[in-house]
Amino acid sequence: MSDLNRKVHEALAQIGRMTRRDFIRFGAAVTSAATLGSLGVANAALAALPEGVHVMTESEHAVFARLLAVMLPTEGSRLVPTTQVPVMQTLDAALLATMPPHLLEGLKGGVKYFDEGPIPRYGKRFTELDDAAAARFCDEWANAPEAPHRALAMGLKKLVGLAYWANPPTWVPLGYDGPVTRKWGLKSLGNAPMPK
Amino acid sequence: MTQKMIAQVPRHGLKLTQAADVKQPSIHLAADAVIVGSGAGGAIAAYELAAKGKTVVVLEAGPYVPSEKFTEMLAIAMGTLYQDHGGQSNTEGDISILQGACVGGSTVVNAALCFRTPDYYLQQWAQEFGLTNLTPEVMAPYFDKVEANLHIRQNAPHETSPGAELINAGLKKLGIPPGIAKRNIKECGLTGFCFAGCVSDRKQSMLVTYLPWAVAKGAQLFADTRVTKVLADEGNARGVEAEVVDPATGRKKADLRIDAPIVVLAAGPVQTPLLLLKSGLANSSGQVGKNFACHPTMSLTAEFDKPVDDFHGATHSLYVDKYTLPEEGGYLLLNAVQDPVEASFQVEPGTGKPYVSYMSRYRNTIRLITLIHDKNVGEVGWTDGAKAIRYTVDDADFESMKAGLKTNARVLFAAGAKRIHLPTSHALAIEGPAEIHRVIDGLRNEPSRYRYTSFHPQGTCRMGADPARTVVNPKGETHDVRRLYVVDASLLPTSIGYNPSETVYALAHYIADQINAPQA
Ligand SMILES: Cc1cc2nc3c(=O)[nH]c(=O)nc-3n(C[C@H](O)[C@H](O)[C@H](O)COP(=O)(O)OP(=O)(O)OC[C@H]3O[C@@H](n4cnc5c(N)ncnc54)[C@H](O)[C@@H]3O)c2cc1C
Repeated sequence: MSDLNRKVHEALAQIGRMTRRDFIRFGAAVTSAATLGSLGVANAALAALPEGVHVMTESEHAVFARLLAVMLPTEGSRLVPTTQVPVMQTLDAALLATMPPHLLEGLKGGVKYFDEGPIPRYGKRFTELDDAAAARFCDEWANAPEAPHRALAMGLKKLVGLAYWANPPTWVPLGYDGPVTRKWGLKSLGNAPMPK
Repeated sequence: MTQKMIAQVPRHGLKLTQAADVKQPSIHLAADAVIVGSGAGGAIAAYELAAKGKTVVVLEAGPYVPSEKFTEMLAIAMGTLYQDHGGQSNTEGDISILQGACVGGSTVVNAALCFRTPDYYLQQWAQEFGLTNLTPEVMAPYFDKVEANLHIRQNAPHETSPGAELINAGLKKLGIPPGIAKRNIKECGLTGFCFAGCVSDRKQSMLVTYLPWAVAKGAQLFADTRVTKVLADEGNARGVEAEVVDPATGRKKADLRIDAPIVVLAAGPVQTPLLLLKSGLANSSGQVGKNFACHPTMSLTAEFDKPVDDFHGATHSLYVDKYTLPEEGGYLLLNAVQDPVEASFQVEPGTGKPYVSYMSRYRNTIRLITLIHDKNVGEVGWTDGAKAIRYTVDDADFESMKAGLKTNARVLFAAGAKRIHLPTSHALAIEGPAEIHRVIDGLRNEPSRYRYTSFHPQGTCRMGADPARTVVNPKGETHDVRRLYVVDASLLPTSIGYNPSETVYALAHYIADQINAPQA
């Protein structure tokens, strides 16, 4: 764990575990953001700290928002524009707000470390890189000899991706129809009878 | 406590006590037997003991989620039904270790694929662990029984998925025999949502089988109730202490104590050893929590030219076990449908446009899982008051994984795949069959390099005749504490390379018979 402290390492392990974290709060985040309307969400995303974001700081929000733009450049594709999905609110309420404080502290350290990561090679922070350089940096860290760099590149992208894809409207352009049992009218078989 | 006979199994739902029902700050009960955990092992033990007239209390740490509350959204199911909201992993954070944590345990969220324990392992357990009692002949009636009770049947021809059909064609082309899944499912609705719980109760999980049966036989079931200590004195089990916790607030509502001369641990292969370690019991061998194995899996994702729509259908339809025994390769291939949330982080196509383009083609993708028979090299324990699962994939096991990934890729290309993505931290794809060996031979066993998932933790209170090497004796009773039993996946002395639920079901039945037998 060369130049990363133990807290950051623990936070990275936690992100690894977040593949399928508690998304109940996604519902709440999506609903509260939906009341803003999609335009409202778009405007909010441009603000320094959009409405509904309480846990991340402005500088952390800048890193996550930049990462979202770099990893999911939806313009020109069929995907729902990231500006129409409450990604930052979902990330904040469903993932960051549920982290134990010491791990959240570690994650915040990891976000800072990631933002400063390009300085030696590119002379700039991640948030200052242009799109092509920022994408290249992510790919370089994903294949770095240092395990923590790989973990950070994988982990932070996973967080941002989950916060986008957990919103059911993002499934529509993929052709995925979500829950079906009620739609298909499948009846419950209930409890099995006691064996003889 | 007097045993209440309800006798009738209700058509739907379970009669039980939840945190919301508890009004007093402390509860003290007595019973013949207390069972910790309501999953595969616990539910079966509860029914078998109650059916023999014993007063039984089952304590389950997780919530009661009736099937009509299941959402068919994996992300939400993880929050309500899984251990640590789906967030459990090894200490490195690169293996997601999934377990159910609700009434019914992992059986509520599992994919219902069933295999009898191969004779190979029963024989190995006899030779290496002195389990000469668990012969194939002795175990056969137990497998027969659970197969009848849980409606374990081979998939009918229509119980498949679009991806499975492609994979089957690929297997045929290569001359590799497909295995047709056997599952504990009745009239499968083919929704593909096994991992999120079966809304229409077709999966014969403990929630709709052994638990309502046990309750009908008089067993009392508490949800939201975490056992914190096993009680014993003078080498005899005495009961347990537990806490009833409000799942909405996380606050303790009541202390619970059950006095019982029989204690049955079925909290699963992570929590059972943690509970024993915390209670300071049954560990004269020093083996409690040791020998953790987990059947690590990696999925290859194949892209096709046309949409496949492999998201509804049977969650599992077929498998390949030609190479599953250690001498044959030590890996099993399994097909499984996949929703977009899971697909979104399974592979790394490259940041930006490549990722957008890949996800836009989600309908064209299918996955095939490689599961390895792994060595028992891990350990579950406490570190600074928190659980820690220390496990990294062994180098030799990683070679089995590579062999499995090669076969996996061959099958997917034979099925018509145009490209195959690997579950690596960096972008890595195989563009055609000629590249399979070069790409997979280049993989190194490194931390934070791969996206592993484990569905089958096991082995942490292993069973055997030698009290110096094992925790539990051949009858399921701990070597150190009389009438303290283990009936969950902790028992398995080695990993078995196949999905283990039927092994746990059969062992729980076998051990329940030992508990019910007259004691010397
Ligand atoms: C997503 C998934 C898919 C799977 N698919 C398959 C499959 O297709 N085929 C197959 O064979 N196997 C499958 N499995 C594995 C299989 O379900 C398990 O091996 C089996 O259920 C293990 O049984 P168990 O009794 O050890 O534990 P579990 O069934 O996990 O039950 C343990 C219970 O104990 C409770 N508990 C824990 N600690 C405490 C405590 N301190 N106090 C009270 N209660 C406690 C837990 O909340 C849990 O409900 C799958 C598992 C998962 C998670």
